[in-house]
Amino acid sequence: MKKRKPAKTLNLILTGVGGQGNVMASRVLAGMLVDAGYVVTIGETFGMSQRGGSVMSHLRVSPDEVKSPQIPAWGADVIVALEPLEALRVLGVYGNPDVCVLSNTRPVYPIGVITGELGYPSREIIMEKFSLLAASAWMIDATDAGVRLGNPVLSNIVMIGALAETGLLPFNRGMFAKEIKKTLPPDKLSLNMKAFDEGRAMIRQESVALKNL
Amino acid sequence: MKQPGAQARLKKYVLRQSLCTGCGACVGMCPYQVIYKDRTVQLFDCDLPEGRCYTFCPRTPTDYNALEKTLFDPRDLTDELGPVRGFFLARAADAGLRLRAQHGGTVTALLGLAMAEGLIDTALVSGRNDEGEPQGTLVADKGELAGYAKSRFIVSPTVAAFNRIDAKDREKTGIVATPCQAQALAKIRTAVIDGCSQAQSVGLVIGLFCGWTLAAEKFRGLLERFFIPFADLDAMDIPPGFNMLELRSSEKTLLMPLDEVDEYVRGACRYCVDSTAQFADVSVGAARCGMDPGEMRGWNQVIVRSLRGEKLIELARQKGALEIREAPAGALRELKEAAAEKKRQGLENIVAKSGSKKNLLYLKNYGPAAGKRENR
Amino acid sequence: MNKLLSPDKSTVLFLGNEAIARGALEAGLAVATGYPGTPSSEVIESLAGVAARRNLYVEWSVNEKVALEVAAAASFSGLRAMAVMKQNGVNVASDFLLHLIASGTRGGLVLVSCEDPGALSSVNEGESRYFARMLEMPLLEPADFQEAKDLTKWAFELSEEIRNVVMLRSVTRMSHASGNVVCAKLPTKSRRAKFEYDGPVMDSQTGPMISTPVVAKHRLHQEKLKTVEALFEKSPFNRYSGPAKPKLLVVTSSVCFLYVREALSMLGLERDVGILKLATTWPLPPRLLERNLQRAEKILVVEEVLPFLEENVKVLASAMAGRIGVKTFFGKYDGTLPAAGELNPDIVARAIGGIMKVKPKTPPASYLAEVKKAAALIPAREQTFCAGCPHRASFWNIRRAIALDGREGFVCGDIGCYSMAALSPATGYNTMPTLHSMGSGTGLAGGFAKLSAFGLDKPVMAVCGDSTFYHAVIPALINAQHNRADITFIVLDNAGTAMTGFQPHPGLPVSALKETVPAVDIACVCRGIGAKVAVADPFDIDGTSKILTDYLAEKGSVKVLILRQACALSPEKKGKKTFNVRVNEELCLGDACGCNRLCTRVFRCPALTWDSARKKAVVDEVICAGCGVCVSICPQNAIVKAQGNM
Repeated sequence: MKKRKPAKTLNLILTGVGGQGNVMASRVLAGMLVDAGYVVTIGETFGMSQRGGSVMSHLRVSPDEVKSPQIPAWGADVIVALEPLEALRVLGVYGNPDVCVLSNTRPVYPIGVITGELGYPSREIIMEKFSLLAASAWMIDATDAGVRLGNPVLSNIVMIGALAETGLLPFNRGMFAKEIKKTLPPDKLSLNMKAFDEGRAMIRQESVALKNL
Repeated sequence: MKQPGAQARLKKYVLRQSLCTGCGACVGMCPYQVIYKDRTVQLFDCDLPEGRCYTFCPRTPTDYNALEKTLFDPRDLTDELGPVRGFFLARAADAGLRLRAQHGGTVTALLGLAMAEGLIDTALVSGRNDEGEPQGTLVADKGELAGYAKSRFIVSPTVAAFNRIDAKDREKTGIVATPCQAQALAKIRTAVIDGCSQAQSVGLVIGLFCGWTLAAEKFRGLLERFFIPFADLDAMDIPPGFNMLELRSSEKTLLMPLDEVDEYVRGACRYCVDSTAQFADVSVGAARCGMDPGEMRGWNQVIVRSLRGEKLIELARQKGALEIREAPAGALRELKEAAAEKKRQGLENIVAKSGSKKNLLYLKNYGPAAGKRENR
Repeated sequence: MNKLLSPDKSTVLFLGNEAIARGALEAGLAVATGYPGTPSSEVIESLAGVAARRNLYVEWSVNEKVALEVAAAASFSGLRAMAVMKQNGVNVASDFLLHLIASGTRGGLVLVSCEDPGALSSVNEGESRYFARMLEMPLLEPADFQEAKDLTKWAFELSEEIRNVVMLRSVTRMSHASGNVVCAKLPTKSRRAKFEYDGPVMDSQTGPMISTPVVAKHRLHQEKLKTVEALFEKSPFNRYSGPAKPKLLVVTSSVCFLYVREALSMLGLERDVGILKLATTWPLPPRLLERNLQRAEKILVVEEVLPFLEENVKVLASAMAGRIGVKTFFGKYDGTLPAAGELNPDIVARAIGGIMKVKPKTPPASYLAEVKKAAALIPAREQTFCAGCPHRASFWNIRRAIALDGREGFVCGDIGCYSMAALSPATGYNTMPTLHSMGSGTGLAGGFAKLSAFGLDKPVMAVCGDSTFYHAVIPALINAQHNRADITFIVLDNAGTAMTGFQPHPGLPVSALKETVPAVDIACVCRGIGAKVAVADPFDIDGTSKILTDYLAEKGSVKVLILRQACALSPEKKGKKTFNVRVNEELCLGDACGCNRLCTRVFRCPALTWDSARKKAVVDEVICAGCGVCVSICPQNAIVKAQGNM
């Protein structure tokens, strides 16, 4: 796996469903990268439009310049999805043959699926679409890891740990530890580090990698 | 475009057309429909293409002739009264019961007998809920039956209570039914649901003669004008010989000319063609024909319709539960004339609503009009 | 340490709204007020968090008009003050604003309007920039995060220079985006408040603060605007970048500047197209415009949403046509760009590419074909009430009551999370056909109720949230009571301004500064008006339905039902479950039940899902908030609850 160090702007999209900790994850990532000397721009949408709906944060990591808070179409380098359907949705607008995808496996069913009006693609189909639309893709059950650690909302930290392990973004465990100390109360730190490490371990297990070119 | 589901059709063809009789046939099977203040209410939309609500409703299109021929001996069928195997006057042998009953106490006596003889375990009669509104009530103790013996001229959603009974217990349930309710029960008996016939699922049906019922909410308003709380209303009757509705509470008795009552009659009753509960096993009404009114008071006219009904009456004779006497000459003819008049009016109103003599709304292949029956 | 107080010269990742707050702190802000509204709320929220350290007075006001009045009082007393609101909040404040501009101000007073092009979190995409022109008020628009801070700071200086209010306009993609900001010094001295009014009537610094004599003060104000123009000519926030003689000049402002820059990079046109980025967008500095419009024959104006800048540039260009020649303008008027909805780099790239005859790059056709195939498999994700949301239960009760009543009653909607009942009708069980501005549901309901004489004989309801109640509902409610309008008014009281992040409001015993304050009780207010009032728990389906059904049947004037249940995301509830809810699989008959999936098909809770393989309902424990309402809707009693962890 090659390490990426952005000489040009790196575009990451963090997506999921309202309430999954998307905003928090994007700010933690951005905080680390600002400290590392990058010019970071995050575009977020939150508020009522996101109740139960799709959420997206656009993270732009530039060596020198403020970027548009909206990434152009077909312009993502990395997609991190807390919900697999949302990864697919984002690929359909921001994907390109070089994009890398890291996705949680656990579905959050849209209301239309719950009512029976719409269908939800199977895990196999989602994985197949990832392999067709992305250069690399990883799927991990981050929600399950969060539940095992005592709170499903930790899945976003599990995903950050997994992202660190993929090497797609220039940050590491030490930077993460420093970053969360700024915002989290001391008693929450070790649990979050555990979640981070859990994510790293899940990527290391080759069995969970769908495809890693 | 998706076809409207059963619930939507029920709304379009029955509820919106003021054809709903409030019998309760579409209620009690799902969380979507309830009876509230005498109205059938659709709480939420159900999109099932077929549903028992639509199938069971006595005012959705029904092959009338086929229904009669399936349930009764075709040789018994008459134009005016439907199946008739026997006709006579009766009253409960128990004088105490007669006192507490609307007329002769025949219905209560028959139910009590059926219970005592194990033909049925429970009786489903018209009672009241905590708000004083009519509702189907299950009675398992025959001693309690007499408490439900009075009529209040308001349809109770009795069939809804029937729908709530466990399938296995239905056969051992006796039901007191108005003509529309009896028709709903007939449709329930003949329905084929998920490939299964429901034929064995309905117990004994004792029908009540019925010329019309009152629209409960409007009538409640009327009573309030006369300072009679609905819950205090003890009894209602149309005594033979008077064109008056008699309203009795513990405090007072009120007489109201029938043409004034007309305004309070339930709209759906105007489109009814059955005044004698043609789909019951036994139909019972007040005796009011051919005799001195004074002497008739306290007797019932009884029509035996089915084999099951005949057996029950036979048992009542043997056990002495009923006093039975032959109907006076001309009584049957008078009853037939009255029933035919109700049919004529009902059909006239139906044609007025549909706008065509060929469209009889819910009546498909309807007996006299279809002209397929021999007169007896 | 709170990052808003980061030291001089430090680089911090600020949300656009935090950058505005920091700019105000660097300017020596004393008083900040606002009413919560996306995308503006974080300005006041972040200032409230540092109020004690910076000796600020910060308040969540009852509405935007009062917010501006409270801030103006500080300005009249020589302090620097700021009022913050979303775009339509400026409409609410505009009556006072009109008179405020006429009277003038003293201490620096900045009105911050955070707008929402594309209506991402609004039910309008209103533009308050036109207020600047209509009310003659200087307008500043930052184009990035550093500018958001620096321009805010300068806005206070400008306000004191001209002794009048200055408007700073942000948009969602700025307010709710984050970027690097280099901080400057925070002042160490604070001013003392002093209100003088004995001076001459024409002296806004010592005389009475009034708008009269109107014409004389109006004339004086217009003279001041000449000063503003002169300052804007020299402003370092207005910049040209690109070749000296570009083939196309793009005039832009706000976050659209970043879109234009991105678009040029996408198209590879950085050497062909120039950008004039304006931060001072009203009044426009004419000489600056003249210098730059001369550069090119073709001019494209890029802005959100309406062609405000385009119009103002064209007015100047026509006046100076003799000197700069006749230009070809592209923008909203000729359809090069849409005048509805927000922009993004792709829309701007298509517009510039269209003029310059260059196409933006796209992935290979084979990739796009696969994308198309995948898109067909992706179900839409409709907005809905959260798991455990009290509004779902409230609308369930409302729907039942309307059905039982049988006269096809309806609800007039209002602004809050419960607006979803109108935005996604099935979510509100098809009960709420109107939705407009704060408080207007009650006003409309009062109007509908008066139409029975004209044949509209349906029971009329209005809903509003607890915060909305105080904001603008009270006058409409009094109107309904006074005019004997027969309405059922329902307060969906979820104990906070939930949609924008649980800001306190007058009904709560706590202020923005976390001080204990007296709570204004909604029930008492309604009783004071003379209305009949009941309070219920929407999770009690039977009890609430009964009250509502009785209310609808009852003739009278205003009947109030307060439905109290805290928001599922509220700090006191979040992460805790009142009940552990599960489906008893033996009792759930699934497809064989006559229920036709009432629980999942109709009820629509994101946590109550359908196992299509086993054809039974199932509770997703990760999503379930444990409210237990679904227990009472299953006709088979197959959904069961046990005591949870709350």
